[in-house]
Amino acid sequence: MTPSQIPPDLRGRRARDPFWVAASALFNGIQRVRSLRTPVLPPVTPVDRTLTTVVREVRQEAEDVVGLRLAAPDGRALPAWQPGCHLDVRLPSGRRRQYSLCGDPADRRTYRIAVRRLPHGAGGSLEAHALAEGDLLTVSEPRNAFPFLPRDRYLFLAGGIGITPLLPMVQAARRLGADWRLVYTGRTRASLPFLDELPADRVEIRTDDDHGVPDCAELLTRAPAADAAIYCCGPAPMIDGVRAAFAPHGPATLHFERFAPAPVVDGRPFEIELRRRGVTLRVPADRTALDVLTEYDPAVAHSCRQGFCGTCRVGLLAGDADRRHPGDTDPDSLLVCVSRASGGRLVLDM
Amino acid sequence: MTIPPTEPGNIVLQARDVRFDWSEVPLHWIPGDPVATHLINVLHLLLPAGEEWFVRVFKEAVPHIRDDRLREDVLGFIGQEAVHASSHDQVLDHFLAQGLDVRPFVRQVEFLFEGLLGDRNLTGTRGQAWLYERISLIAAIEHFTGVLGDWILNATALDEAGAHPTMLDLLRWHGAEEVEHRHVAHDLFMHLDGSYPARLRAMAETITALTALWRRGHRFLMAADPIVQGRIKGGLHHVRRTGAAGLTPGGRMVAASIGRYLRRSYSPLNEGSTSQALAYLASSPAARAALR
Ligand code: FES
Ligand SMILES: [Fe+2]
Ligand SMILES: [Fe+2]
Repeated sequence: MTPSQIPPDLRGRRARDPFWVAASALFNGIQRVRSLRTPVLPPVTPVDRTLTTVVREVRQEAEDVVGLRLAAPDGRALPAWQPGCHLDVRLPSGRRRQYSLCGDPADRRTYRIAVRRLPHGAGGSLEAHALAEGDLLTVSEPRNAFPFLPRDRYLFLAGGIGITPLLPMVQAARRLGADWRLVYTGRTRASLPFLDELPADRVEIRTDDDHGVPDCAELLTRAPAADAAIYCCGPAPMIDGVRAAFAPHGPATLHFERFAPAPVVDGRPFEIELRRRGVTLRVPADRTALDVLTEYDPAVAHSCRQGFCGTCRVGLLAGDADRRHPGDTDPDSLLVCVSRASGGRLVLDM
Repeated sequence: MTIPPTEPGNIVLQARDVRFDWSEVPLHWIPGDPVATHLINVLHLLLPAGEEWFVRVFKEAVPHIRDDRLREDVLGFIGQEAVHASSHDQVLDHFLAQGLDVRPFVRQVEFLFEGLLGDRNLTGTRGQAWLYERISLIAAIEHFTGVLGDWILNATALDEAGAHPTMLDLLRWHGAEEVEHRHVAHDLFMHLDGSYPARLRAMAETITALTALWRRGHRFLMAADPIVQGRIKGGLHHVRRTGAAGLTPGGRMVAASIGRYLRRSYSPLNEGSTSQALAYLASSPAARAALR
């Protein structure tokens, strides 16, 4: 019996439940009457979510860190934002990078972001450092993957450039009259931006050259109370360390930005053939099939990118799969956000 | 609407990889109150099939979206609903293990979502109109999931009645994500279609269907419950007591929210509080475990 057949009644006495016989007759009747008229669909109005901004100010905020102030070319008010928001910045080369907003949310005419130069990175930070006053920069509307919630007590843990999202939070905590502490870690004092914007009395600067590499469990002891909200932003090892040291059943809550999924480990390049579309795409060793698919077509359904939601499941017509999530067990389909080919090519039903 | 400065906005929606251990949860998880327990349990019967249907319909809608931000919201919504569906599905297995066989009712719910509200083999403009119509229904249903989500986050009477913490956490984690993404289905409908009469029709159909399903579902559960053994007859009249006691949503509260939905100026953002929802998610045992 398929789900599209009228089901038996609830006590198993009749093969077709009279309630559903009546409900289907009614609903199908309505649909039939409505289908007498050919539907007229309104055209969809495209919405452009990008903003063209102009670099108003470039400032050296620390060794290797520049702060950029962006404004609308005509000085108009920019979309509002809240602490924790970031911008998706389209760099002149077309690369996209996300930077936290670190200015004042009450200032509706400028956005401020700060970028640390990573000489061995993929090049995005070098490009951002090459920007000059007057340059145009396309950015997205602000989005928030690190929301700040009103609480009575806070502990902020910043690692280097991770201070950027926390800076507006610190100001908001001050405005709320909350009890807060900030521990700001980094290599050296000269490498830490925005020291001049932080009130000295509630801030502890902890640099590796003076104190050695910080112990995350010890950082957590700086909370003003057991029920503090802990907001942490910094390099991945710091966040991982704080997560591991955090007692999950206590009254405190831990907040950090939920970053993109973990990088691909031990990946080998392979090909995916989209049978119905007649296209073959190459997946490099360090990217997932989903990355390549969404680049080819942003409407390819996906969500968690980590293998647990099942949204990206696609029919697998041929090829040997290297399954990388315990939930990916069905031999006729594949979770393209995590699983790969064990070699050669995968033929997908799309 | 002016958003208070502490109300976070522009939230990036992400699914949470939650897990629940049902082994310790009793059949009557509101102790001594099978009537109220089953009034809420009807949700578990409807949601797995219903939310899987949301996911299928929204996946079909994604290629029609001409707004990058809405597309992101819809993709985040899909992931959250997919995890909701599978989490409620596990509750059904637990019911079965405790001798409450819900399969006949679930079969009927599947008929609704996979049969009546399925593809209908339509293509072209008619297929697209049917897609929009289903989105209008989802937007109306999501009004209720948002209102119920807000209700469960504030339902202190359930804590006082000793409701089992694992079940409360499931309902509140789900309710909080419903509040978090409450604007998405309405935004999608307004982007693609936006017709006011279609919204009214969808709300009328949704009220009719939900009332009938809730009544039937409750009567079914009370009859199938191996402890109650049909000694108490189910039905929506019980809501007068359970609603007044705060153990289930009350009729008046739901009716008032429908009144707001019917206004042209309706905005889902005026229902419930994002910061309350996010605060719950920050402290929810299941959502916290998902962070590790
Ligand atoms: S996107 Fe969630 S499982 Fe692949
Ligand atoms: Fe849901
Ligand atoms: Fe929902």
